[in-house]
Amino acid sequence: MAATATPEVRPAIRRDEKTDSSTDLEPGYLVICWNDPVNLMDYVTHVFQIVFGWQRQKAEVHMLQVHKQGKSVLARESMEKAEFYVHQLQKYSLHATMERDEA
Amino acid sequence: MKLIRTRREKLVFEISLSEKRLLFDVLKLYPLISATHHRLTKSARTAKHDENQKLLEESLAAQREENRKNVRAMLDEPGHFKEMSSGFQLTLSGPEIEWLLQVLNDVRVGSWIALGSPDPESGKKILFNEKLLPHFRTMELAGAFEMVFLDALSGH
Repeated sequence: MAATATPEVRPAIRRDEKTDSSTDLEPGYLVICWNDPVNLMDYVTHVFQIVFGWQRQKAEVHMLQVHKQGKSVLARESMEKAEFYVHQLQKYSLHATMERDEA
Repeated sequence: MKLIRTRREKLVFEISLSEKRLLFDVLKLYPLISATHHRLTKSARTAKHDENQKLLEESLAAQREENRKNVRAMLDEPGHFKEMSSGFQLTLSGPEIEWLLQVLNDVRVGSWIALGSPDPESGKKILFNEKLLPHFRTMELAGAFEMVFLDALSGH
């Protein structure tokens, strides 16, 4: 049987702009709570417990860090999870943002 | 207003008529924080920043609508408050206390913003005048009700 030559077809490589890049999935985003003079200390502790499921002691450590140092890094997550946590914290009117971890 | 007992994972509070009126005065103000107040990031260096900021605002707006419905239901349904000889009994579940805390803190933070975001530590004092005084009163009232609920949740 004679072999027939078939043209080699290679799939075109195309970058899909909408696909999450690997950096979005990596835990490269910091969830930060910033100090403000209006939120009550007990309230902030409670919100940390609810949003992150932390014990009171751990929540208090982060609350005091916010109060004394001006901010506390609450989590290091993927972009999607960081957005979720920021949204949860902002639902309670806390001053929270997500930032790229440059370290 | 005080916690009188816990029953089947619900908290039962005693509240006087004047306290109930004050609580309603605060709840009626919800929401005070503008829809675009919260920012997703300070640096704006995350990928898809604008798109994600818009999604955050939409999500917070949906949450606000849900809370607004809950507030309306509490204000319109007298069944929430059972009349007693010494005032009223208010029975709340855990999730109900959570949305109440969100609502009260929105009003507290919104009042603080209306006061010019004072910060005594950085020397930015509250400027008291007749126009601003109601915001100060509301901020303090919302905080006082928050503390009642937080104390009750922590078992104090």
